[in-house]
Amino acid sequence: MYDVAIIGGGVVGCSIARELSRYSVGTVLLEKCSEVGFGTSKTNSGIIHAGHHSSPGTLKGQLVVRGNELFDTLHRDLNFGFKRIGELVVAQNEEDVAVLRKLKTQGEEKGVIGLEIWDQKRLQREEPNLSHTIISALYAPSAGVINPYEFAFALIENAVDNGVELKVESPVENIDIEKSGFVLNTPHEKIGAHFVLNCAGVFADKVTQMVGQDEFTIHPRKGEEYMLDKRLQGLVRRLIFPVPQKTTKGILIIPTFDGTIMVGPTAQDTDDRHDVSTSLDGSRRVFDSVRKICPSITTRDTITEFAGLRAVSNTNDFIIGTTKVKGFINVAGIQSPGLTASPAIAEYVCDILRAEGLSLEYRHDFMPYVPGPPRFATLNAEEQGQLIKKNPLFAKMVCRCELVTEAEVHNAIDHGARTLDGIKFRSRAGMGRCQGSFCTVRCMDILAERLGLPFHQITKRGGNSWIVSEMVNTQHPKVDKES
Amino acid sequence: MISETEHYTCIACPIGCPLRLEHEGNEIKEISGHSCNRGAKYAHQEFTDPRRALSTTVTISGSLWERLPVKTTGPILKNHVMEAAREIHRLRIDAPVQVGQVLIEDFMDEKGINVVACRSMPRITLISPGHRKHPSKKRQRVSNRQYNNRKTMHKTHDQ
Amino acid sequence: MLGRMEGKYDVVVVGGGPAGMGAAIGARDSGAERVLILDRSLEAGGILMQCIHSGFGLHYFKEELSGPEYAERFLEKVIDHDVDVFTDSYVSGIAIDSDGTKGVHVMNKEKGLFTVETRSVALAMGCRERTRGAIRIPGTRPSGILTAGLAQKLVNMRGYLPGKRIAILGSGDIGLIMARRLVLEGCEVVGVFEIMPYSNGLTRNVVQCLDDFGIPLHLSTSVAFIHGRDRLEKITVAPVDQDFRPDMSRASDIECDTLLLSIGLIPENELSQRLGIRLSVVTGGPWVSSTMETSMPGLFACGNVLHVHDLVDFVTRESLLAGQFAGEWAQGVRRPKDNIGLSPGDNLRYCLPHSLSPEREHTIYMRCKEAMKPCRIRVGNLMEKKLRFVVPAEMIMLKIKPDLLEKFHGETLRIDILPAEEGKDDI
Repeated sequence: MYDVAIIGGGVVGCSIARELSRYSVGTVLLEKCSEVGFGTSKTNSGIIHAGHHSSPGTLKGQLVVRGNELFDTLHRDLNFGFKRIGELVVAQNEEDVAVLRKLKTQGEEKGVIGLEIWDQKRLQREEPNLSHTIISALYAPSAGVINPYEFAFALIENAVDNGVELKVESPVENIDIEKSGFVLNTPHEKIGAHFVLNCAGVFADKVTQMVGQDEFTIHPRKGEEYMLDKRLQGLVRRLIFPVPQKTTKGILIIPTFDGTIMVGPTAQDTDDRHDVSTSLDGSRRVFDSVRKICPSITTRDTITEFAGLRAVSNTNDFIIGTTKVKGFINVAGIQSPGLTASPAIAEYVCDILRAEGLSLEYRHDFMPYVPGPPRFATLNAEEQGQLIKKNPLFAKMVCRCELVTEAEVHNAIDHGARTLDGIKFRSRAGMGRCQGSFCTVRCMDILAERLGLPFHQITKRGGNSWIVSEMVNTQHPKVDKES
Repeated sequence: MISETEHYTCIACPIGCPLRLEHEGNEIKEISGHSCNRGAKYAHQEFTDPRRALSTTVTISGSLWERLPVKTTGPILKNHVMEAAREIHRLRIDAPVQVGQVLIEDFMDEKGINVVACRSMPRITLISPGHRKHPSKKRQRVSNRQYNNRKTMHKTHDQ
Repeated sequence: MLGRMEGKYDVVVVGGGPAGMGAAIGARDSGAERVLILDRSLEAGGILMQCIHSGFGLHYFKEELSGPEYAERFLEKVIDHDVDVFTDSYVSGIAIDSDGTKGVHVMNKEKGLFTVETRSVALAMGCRERTRGAIRIPGTRPSGILTAGLAQKLVNMRGYLPGKRIAILGSGDIGLIMARRLVLEGCEVVGVFEIMPYSNGLTRNVVQCLDDFGIPLHLSTSVAFIHGRDRLEKITVAPVDQDFRPDMSRASDIECDTLLLSIGLIPENELSQRLGIRLSVVTGGPWVSSTMETSMPGLFACGNVLHVHDLVDFVTRESLLAGQFAGEWAQGVRRPKDNIGLSPGDNLRYCLPHSLSPEREHTIYMRCKEAMKPCRIRVGNLMEKKLRFVVPAEMIMLKIKPDLLEKFHGETLRIDILPAEEGKDDI
């Protein structure tokens, strides 16, 4: 019997898991995909918001600034990539400028630091590639970028190091309420827990229905994003936002942590909780919108595109709290600025658990630190030489677009990757210009060797995402090659 | 006898003239549509004796790769191609193999058309389970020279 | 891996495919003593090792060989020419000393990170395939979408099928060849979809890879949407208008579990870009003079990295020449600078090399924009030649003799492909 069962391994579930791992609390996290973060989290834009966009009257508005503050310590301890590159909300007419001033006031009320209004001259000096029709901008230096999947991986790795149990490919199908607590039924096993945290994102309302509650509904809102070629790196140096709309922050220009520029997301309500398709219409909207702000971006610069679903609740705010069912706590409706707020959400949820009677005693042997994955491509020749001396597999190039070595692929597997996407999101192999054409076979060979699986059983991301099938007339030997 | 027309696209050059061949039974009456003599010859060949070259791979063990590319040394009858592929796919070869080595003689009962290996594959030493050491270029170089004089090869052929 | 690294090499060749092997042989034949090929794969031979179909060597050997056979012939020559070969070795960069010596940074498991010093370098890295992202097909991101070349590698080198029910986007030769290959291995190929109103591949391949097997070729059609959560389930195809936009009112769904992309090849110039050498926007490869030298002295380029070829015989010819010049350069020979620019005129996408010299004979390689038959090729006011046809899929090769160039007094020589004129003979 666990003290706490967390349903859902997105950034929220993983943040809570990591926070709970500070305490002597028996925690299990159940994730339905083959890796954590493979739902909405990995498709997230990766922005750590300054906090001035959301009103202080909302729960999301309250938690975002605290969340932003916590990122420095988290970054230091967990070594995921994080950079405060700053953000500009740009105005192209007087109406927009008025909105900027409102945002500045709202931000300052909430304690957002360093907000400044820039005039056109300063803007053109600092961001010369933005359109000259932009007359003013609101600068927020505390905004930053991360790779959200890296964040989820680092959080869960630290949580597991500190005693949390992780079960992947474990969707919760139904929940029994018993005298001793809850029994969560997955296809493989029954999990018992005193407290259940519903962090199931787009499916959070389905989960709450499992305990007979229906106090909220989730209305997925799809966002499409477009990754641009690496040679556009440096086109803009900060996050560029248009003036926000009612339901969405708008279509942004995002210099991701790794330097590649990403544009998006769109905002399209959908009923289909599995629809993560991109569309011609979506791409038109994205490029029409960003070209107004940065005319040198064209559709020809795209190297890949993807979409994710925001878990928007019917209240349009976070729904974090207890329910009529004792011990069942919702952490639902976490849409933007959910990523930024996630560390604060974790603290908030721990407070709720305390109030509900869970004893949270600090572990004396809590280890806050996780070393980041080695990134051969970012090191200088001397550092590279040192790595190679320790492990000659750093001298074997696997992904030539992102310069990822074989040692890093093994490292990804050491840290939990079991699929091609697991390797991709941990090591960057396959994320470059050729989108895996060159490195796929080698990555599959390494996975097959490490997991002891035949080559054709390697998948892209678990489930039915097989990559090759066996040739009819071939017998493959059981051992796989060292090629 | 009824007059019938076959249509071919000439493959002799990229122009790809649309060819018409009128025939009564097996008797060619007229060939048209070609802009050079090669087209007429092609239509004639396609009608009387259409043939295709066949390239595929077969299973090989004891070498760097598990597939050995093979080909027919001449074009075989077009309507035998799928059966020919199935026949070739039954081969199980054991390295070493030399480029040009005959794997099946007089293939599909066509005298003079063989199935041959399209590359050399030296034998690889298995040094431990799960690991294959491929020979250094130096060793490979020597092996190739040795095999130049080899006439026979070790092979298994499933019945 | 073979070869000592003490002391300088004369020529280092980056890439051990047909272009690399040709350059190495050309360099040795020019008298260069120490020549090294570096290849990132386990064996040399490049892309030829997976091209098991015939069609190679018709010009060079007067025989029709498969890719591996052609490669093996050249590998024998490479060995006979005493060229050093390091396989499983990746070139991560090239540094230039103040005296012009090049330091080629190499990585491999045996020696780790090391630098090979050389006098000249020949780039022969080949090309890569265009991916889904580059043409932006909307839809989901299931497994089952891969380039035709990757499928070819999986089938021919490893013995795995990319799927069972296969659609192919793009009628380039690689896609056509794979259509036949997969049928021979027992797969169902549901169709080839091509956005242009004509096939990009050779007629011979359309006939022998598609028609022979009853595989339909749908021209002026594109893939408008991809369906499937984990694995590809179906594609939506639609005819396109003149602006290549899909007409969704006439779209239809096709069930398949695999989509092969044969939508174009791009010269692999990551290394060239890092070196900052001048690249041609049209070819995607380096700008080169008539000695195949790039904008960096002592750095030469040949093969698919320079421009995408269709016949390996031309790659061999081009790379033997590049090797010769690279080898000469390493021995201190400096040819007089080109003084005639070469520019593509009517119906030509590009001409290579980018400049000429009246000092010697040249072989010019060109690609036309549109098919034309019959036609004539006009070289400035120097020469005119009748051609039966030109098609974009077939590279045009033209020899220009020095005595012809001596008559030219302009700065830039322009080549045009024009419609044939009645009653005009070769000049």
